[in-house]
Amino acid sequence: MVAFTVNGAPVEIDGQDNKPLLWVLREDLGILGPKYGCGVAQCGACRVLIDGASVPSCQAFTGDLGGAEIVTVEGLAEADGRLSAVQQAWVDEQVPQCGFCQPGFIIAATALLAEIPRPTDEQIDDAITNICRCGTYPRIRRAIHRAAGVLATQG
Amino acid sequence: MPRLFSRRGFLLTGAALGGTAFVAAVGGVGYLATVDVDGLDGHLDGDRANLNAFVIIHEDGRVVVNVPRTEMGQGIHTGLAIVVAEELDIPFDDRISVEFPTDGHAAYSSWFNALQVRPEEAGGPVVWLARRALGRMEFIATGASGSTMGMWHPMRVAGAAARQMLIAAAAARMGAPVAELTTGDGFVHHNATGRSIAYGELAREAAVLPPPDTPVLKSAAQWRLIGRSQPRVDIPAKVRGAAVFGMDVVLPDMLHASIRQAPVFGAQISSIRNEREVRAEPGVVDVSIIDGRHAAVVADSWWQAEQAAWLLDIEWTATEADGVDNDSLSVRLHEALSLDAPHGHIDDGDVVSALSDPQSAVVEADYSVPFVTHACMEPMNATAILRDGRVAEVWAPSQNRVTMQAAVGRGMGWAGIRPRDVILHVMMTGGAFGRRSDQDVIAQAAYLAARHPGRAVKLLWSREEDISRGLYRSQAAARLRAALGPDGLPVAYDALVATQSVFSAMGSRNMPFTPSPDGDYLSVEGLDKLHYAIPNRRMRSQHIPSHMPVHFWRSNGFSFNTFFTESFIDECALAAQMDPLAYRRVLLRDSPRHLAVLDRVADMAGWGTPMAPGHGRGIAIEECYRSVVAQVAEVTVADDGEITVDRVFCAIDAGLVINPDAVIAQMEGGIIFGMTAALMSTITLENGSVVETNFHDFPMLRLADAPEIEVALVDSGQPPGGAGEPGVVPIAGAIGNAVFAATGRRIRALPMATTETTGERRTRSVLRPGAA
Ligand code: FES
Ligand code: FES
Repeated sequence: MVAFTVNGAPVEIDGQDNKPLLWVLREDLGILGPKYGCGVAQCGACRVLIDGASVPSCQAFTGDLGGAEIVTVEGLAEADGRLSAVQQAWVDEQVPQCGFCQPGFIIAATALLAEIPRPTDEQIDDAITNICRCGTYPRIRRAIHRAAGVLATQG
Repeated sequence: MPRLFSRRGFLLTGAALGGTAFVAAVGGVGYLATVDVDGLDGHLDGDRANLNAFVIIHEDGRVVVNVPRTEMGQGIHTGLAIVVAEELDIPFDDRISVEFPTDGHAAYSSWFNALQVRPEEAGGPVVWLARRALGRMEFIATGASGSTMGMWHPMRVAGAAARQMLIAAAAARMGAPVAELTTGDGFVHHNATGRSIAYGELAREAAVLPPPDTPVLKSAAQWRLIGRSQPRVDIPAKVRGAAVFGMDVVLPDMLHASIRQAPVFGAQISSIRNEREVRAEPGVVDVSIIDGRHAAVVADSWWQAEQAAWLLDIEWTATEADGVDNDSLSVRLHEALSLDAPHGHIDDGDVVSALSDPQSAVVEADYSVPFVTHACMEPMNATAILRDGRVAEVWAPSQNRVTMQAAVGRGMGWAGIRPRDVILHVMMTGGAFGRRSDQDVIAQAAYLAARHPGRAVKLLWSREEDISRGLYRSQAAARLRAALGPDGLPVAYDALVATQSVFSAMGSRNMPFTPSPDGDYLSVEGLDKLHYAIPNRRMRSQHIPSHMPVHFWRSNGFSFNTFFTESFIDECALAAQMDPLAYRRVLLRDSPRHLAVLDRVADMAGWGTPMAPGHGRGIAIEECYRSVVAQVAEVTVADDGEITVDRVFCAIDAGLVINPDAVIAQMEGGIIFGMTAALMSTITLENGSVVETNFHDFPMLRLADAPEIEVALVDSGQPPGGAGEPGVVPIAGAIGNAVFAATGRRIRALPMATTETTGERRTRSVLRPGAA
């Protein structure tokens, strides 16, 4: 049995040590924000925060997650429903097209800004390696800069 | 300029008229007259007041707009909700939501796509008949960049009709004359008495009134929403992770399925050697063979199904294609350019004599592109259930309800079930690019549901199945020739393309008839260059069959032909010793709409300003989907051949634009989609099967390699044109021409680069020696 938290709520998972977190989230916990796009750590659609780090959940084995704090895209908004600064920047820049990849990008950007509050373009290039087949990259870059600006003024 | 039997429309028109003949024989024209193709009648449905087939108003004032087109990232749900809100005279805020209607109302049919007649210009008996027949067939399709062109007018009319019904209801309540009533902010106002009634309060009374005979539309001068960017209705849910894609469908007690399809297309399964062992794997409920061709594992979870599917030991039958590999394919492709009797599409003037005239300088070049695939971000999936042995219900991301419906019948038919009713739910769609007008996955899911009656089965293809067992944009090659006169301008232009007909292939898989490959305009679109003033012109095509299942792919023939032709025009300009922009300007002298777009993009890019060595600019232009689009790419090519696309400028005349920011987004996305194909994408065959399996060997452009993109919308006063595909069309040619400007190397084959891995999920593109 493995115990961890997802978006603040404690969960216990039994007998699924070899099942990737992605499928535990989607199938056992009904948390559908993280998406399956490749299953091999290439696309990032499945990214979640594990103890604050952006990780492709298709590669995280449930058995290794004892005590971890896991946050998915559903866990980013405030309790009152207000969007996080990153999510709001995504709305303001009208980033998503089909939107399927976006939970993974929003997670990756959230982790980046926690580590580097005002990233340069080069730092964004290095950190944001997800795939968006619809080609929303120019807006993702703008949204990250916008969110960084908003977070900076909020202190 | 309505063209009733344009080459674009004739295939589906043929189908429609076939359907018409049938219906007419059964019930006569009198029956067709009863088909409601406008959808303006209202009715009450529980607590929803349906003012017509498109507009639903709740008591609390919330408005639901029925948009019978698939939202796959292009923003169509927002665009069509805007036109309804405009005519309904309500603000565009979060009181508006959009649904894809479950019923197949005749007013929802995509008859514009089939007939290529704009609804606002349509008339006459043929349109009258075909519209009704297509409505009856529930021909509801999203594609060919046609949703705005086909629906903006009918949905304006629906919004206007609903508004007039609300006013009529208010007039009855207030006892005031209609002429004294105005609307605004979701209310009907009577200024003389200061009274106002909210739409939500009036909706139930309005829904049962007769619709106006000829709803009065706002004039363009009265528009407050159309033409001004509005936020997309689907984005808030998408950033919260709350949007429900096909993959996210959850039903009580559902089963999950994974699949293994033939490595060589066309092979059958002779046996599953270890079926018993796989059945004993954890969670596995069933192992079956679908239509003799695909092995499916059904389990309690997809993870278990997929794990078990990896263990399947399948014996496949041999096929004639087992020996096909890239070498044999490319030989076949290039030989096809010399085969006898290509199909003629255009033969104007005397091309042959002009080309053999000793006075003319002949420019000739062969070009080619490989097979590529869609790689929609959301892998193929469908969820199906068979209830009471005869009611089928399906949830799927899909671009086409007719082929969806047919696929349910086909799949259940494999299990000996003929459903009496089929209920279809078109889900939010994680990318489509033409892929999801084929319903292979829906037929498969329907079969599995029929094997497990009463239980929902969700079938999800792995990414590996999507890339290596899926559907493909055909390979293509072209031989282009031009005879240049003494002024360097083409006297004659001769184009021959060899490719596999998409319509034949798609039809044979999804429709009851197989269209002739020769008439397939998708093979030749982008080849005719009719907007260039050239006196003698010939255009021909050669169909090359192969075992590969080819399919629609964002911008179809334009995705290769425009690369061929716009590169070739640069070759002609070079032979004429003229600047590529100046050369095109002369050729476009009779096409003011094109010239305006070309000049705009050249201006944005600072065409003609000097660039450092190793840097270059290239330009390309195309008319497609009733829009005109031009792009300038700026590239850097390093000494080792590494190519970087630094900036792309794009000007598009998409006619009247309803939501400008959505068109800009489509240009940005189209450019990046097209860049992946131009620089990176190739499907390789070995022993008849596709080698590539996932994003590590079928790479995608990523953020670090995305160029800066600047888009301008050019307004020519035309009605709306398409926007979903045009962004893809010029980019490969523009980049190829820029590489030539930077290096003197002419790119005649795609992909022009190989992708090298430089770090974790970081890549660089290096020009292929063979590409030139
Ligand atoms: S699904 Fe995990 S990285 Fe693609
Ligand atoms: S928005 Fe469609 S894949 Fe990124």
